[in-house]
Amino acid sequence: MTGLATVMLSVIDTGEQITFWICGSLALIGALGMVLSRKAVHSALWIAMTMINLACLYMAQGALFLGMVQIIVYTGAVMMLFLFVLMLVGVDSSDSVVETIRGQRLAAGLAGLAFALMLIAVISRVTLGDVGTQGADAVYGGNLQGLAALIFGKYLLAFEVTSALLITAAIGAMILAHRERIEPKKEQKDLSKERFLSGEHPGSLPPPGVYARHNAVDTPALLPDGTLAENSVPASLRARGAIRTVDRALGDEVQQLAAGDGSLEGEDLR
Amino acid sequence: MNGLIALVPIPTPNMDLGQIAPLEIVFGAALISVLVEAFVRREGRRRVQLVLVFASLIAAVAALVGLAGTRTLTAQASVAVDGPALFMQGTVLLLAIVGALLIAERSIDPAGDAFAPRASALPGGREERELTAAGWSQTEVWPLFLFCVGGMLLFPASNDLLTMFVALEVLSLPLYLLAGLARRRRLLSQEASLKYFLLGAFSSAFFLFGTAMLYGFAGTFSLGGIADALSGNAGDNGLVMLGVALLAVGLLFKVAAVPFHQWTPDVYQGAPTPITAFMATCVKVAAFGALLRVMYVALGGVRWDWQPMLWIIAIITMLVGVIVAIAQTDIKRMLAYSSIAHAGFILLGVIAVSEAGIASTMFYLAAYGFATLGAFAVVSLVRDSSGEATHLSQWAGLGKRSPVVAGIFTLFLLAFAGIPLTSGFTSKFAVFSAAIAGGATPVVIVAVFASVISAFFYARIIVLMFFAEPAEEGPRVVLPSAFTALALAIGVAVTVLLGVLPQPLLNLAQQAGIFLR
Amino acid sequence: MTPNYYIVLSALLFTIGAVGVLVRRNAIVLFMCVELMLNATNLALVTFARVHGNLDGQVMAFFVMVVAAAEVVVGLAIIVTIFRSRRSASVDEASLLKY
Repeated sequence: MTGLATVMLSVIDTGEQITFWICGSLALIGALGMVLSRKAVHSALWIAMTMINLACLYMAQGALFLGMVQIIVYTGAVMMLFLFVLMLVGVDSSDSVVETIRGQRLAAGLAGLAFALMLIAVISRVTLGDVGTQGADAVYGGNLQGLAALIFGKYLLAFEVTSALLITAAIGAMILAHRERIEPKKEQKDLSKERFLSGEHPGSLPPPGVYARHNAVDTPALLPDGTLAENSVPASLRARGAIRTVDRALGDEVQQLAAGDGSLEGEDLR
Repeated sequence: MNGLIALVPIPTPNMDLGQIAPLEIVFGAALISVLVEAFVRREGRRRVQLVLVFASLIAAVAALVGLAGTRTLTAQASVAVDGPALFMQGTVLLLAIVGALLIAERSIDPAGDAFAPRASALPGGREERELTAAGWSQTEVWPLFLFCVGGMLLFPASNDLLTMFVALEVLSLPLYLLAGLARRRRLLSQEASLKYFLLGAFSSAFFLFGTAMLYGFAGTFSLGGIADALSGNAGDNGLVMLGVALLAVGLLFKVAAVPFHQWTPDVYQGAPTPITAFMATCVKVAAFGALLRVMYVALGGVRWDWQPMLWIIAIITMLVGVIVAIAQTDIKRMLAYSSIAHAGFILLGVIAVSEAGIASTMFYLAAYGFATLGAFAVVSLVRDSSGEATHLSQWAGLGKRSPVVAGIFTLFLLAFAGIPLTSGFTSKFAVFSAAIAGGATPVVIVAVFASVISAFFYARIIVLMFFAEPAEEGPRVVLPSAFTALALAIGVAVTVLLGVLPQPLLNLAQQAGIFLR
Repeated sequence: MTPNYYIVLSALLFTIGAVGVLVRRNAIVLFMCVELMLNATNLALVTFARVHGNLDGQVMAFFVMVVAAAEVVVGLAIIVTIFRSRRSASVDEASLLKY
């Protein structure tokens, strides 16, 4: 029996090792990718990968509930909020590679390296036991129950105070984004009055001219007296000067046509 | 078959609500204040909020007085009710009342209070102009303020690192927001908010990693538990060292000690002046309270390891603070560097590691807090057409134009410099003697040297105000309403009183200066 | 498998996040780096919970997630506000304040 237990344990241990080395390296790659990629969106996707892999590592260590919360809250909500804001701000916002302070990156990198080496040197010297949380889980009949007992028992005050945090966040988002309407909403009647009072053309604008060979939006229509109807062409085209010119001759052609003379010569309207 | 899980009932937590009454009053008022925002008509909101804020703060002070002398752990030992906690909470509450007076002021700026009429309107846009003309104001400032005060009450009283972390965030998040709501120079203000937020989040990550390391060492977050684990362990404590260092980074950031001070001048300059005043005083009190508690209660056993680190930080904080302050041309930035230097002086009380150290730190915080609030109140009064006139050259000759305001400012500067008969002298004397008794004589020598340098630049401003010719078209001093006048009066009274008659408060601090383990 | 490996991984992630905060300029990416630091801390907390055989570390990690969620809301709201005011999320371009 003990032999079987040992085998079982070693299988579990090997399973954990495989999980650790795969998820751990993926998490590390994600973290490096986040810092090194220039585009903010890529960074967001890299860190989402890190977070999912960390969730696996939580679960591998017996924190099942936390692993799920990590996926739902962190990857699902927090990172999506990040992506949402990135889309709002502009997807292609990428970092400049220009250093504002010379040598800052090198210095930061070296400081980081030294910091990491110091941390690793300390941590690898420490002997850590491995009790496992099974015992603690069993007290209240499971991991979730155990967490609940702590949150609603020992850490009840902290749990209640986090509500202040969430309310602050809600108020903060409200005051920075919400706009209360100052004046009453305009009804259709008000809008129409406003339109007529403005003194501008109140109705819909004339459509572009329709000719034998052209009826695109850049061909102006002709008024009954033969002059061009400027406002039959979109304002943006007018501003750009991209209006097809209607030849001087056109007026004559029209009169010819009106007189019933079908022998039109020359080229089309240009 | 483990489908049937035996349901073990969770024991009912024991919360003695009476012992955390000040906390409950402030958080309760904050919740009501949110409801006021939702349900009271816009015209009446300001009045209701003011009544609520001042009533709740005064009620909290009363509840605190009722708790005087209590020494117990409450809320499942996550909150300590002991002398230092009550003293710090009292200081925070009293300073918050004066801070609230400054925030409530709205006759200094012709357009209204110090806050943008609506934070979501674009700076300089049409909407902003219309709202300003219509006299709107952002009353959401009040619930944020109350939540912040609530966090500040919990922070120095937390008896485990988990509660302390939550309290740290509860006090920080509203401040990040409040810093960005200035009415004038809004871009500067928003930038200050962003900077404060990013660096604050960065530092709380360090605090958290330190917490994790200490938990890794002790297996508990409780400060007493960590102390027990330390006393039971002789050799291998690499995790403790990491934990102490990282935790200290997070806390020293909040007290604005060098090298974690970079945010201070920018945020102090950009934030609305009443918020700067509130932040410069109350955050310092709360953060020093937490620093003292962590260092003394949990880490007293390894004091020989963290004392040298704090020695060095105290020295560079004082020196960088006073030396850089000399070069400043903006009055708010000058006050910011002066507050950094003062953080260094207060650290002297922390490194004493004695009851006298605790008492002198608490006394210093109270004395410094009232003087700072007063100084920022004066800054908000000196204005030109575009808002506050913060450039030093604009302050030239202020003493000739309005001797009273310049005289009051001079009093606060003398207190900062530590001139006798002001509160600054008593408090500096208290921390210096505590530090000498604690064996930190070299640091005290540096501190005396730094005080002399600081006296120089404070004197320079006094000379500038009284002996320089007033500039043409210079700023004028606005006559404030009763709110700021009262705040100034309190500041002056406390500064003089603690200079002339410091003994009652010193005695109180000494009685209170024992942590509960 | 000794838990030290997990702590080393957590330390590495934390350092990468910290270096990221120092070298990146985009406020949103900077903030992501802070989130990475918080995640690294959570890994350490969960591992230490297993080392000591109590659930306090897991509860702390849970609180960190709650706090981070609130912090993200506030932080992104501030960033969006700044962006609307000046159309850029770079911490350098936003520099009316100087050191």
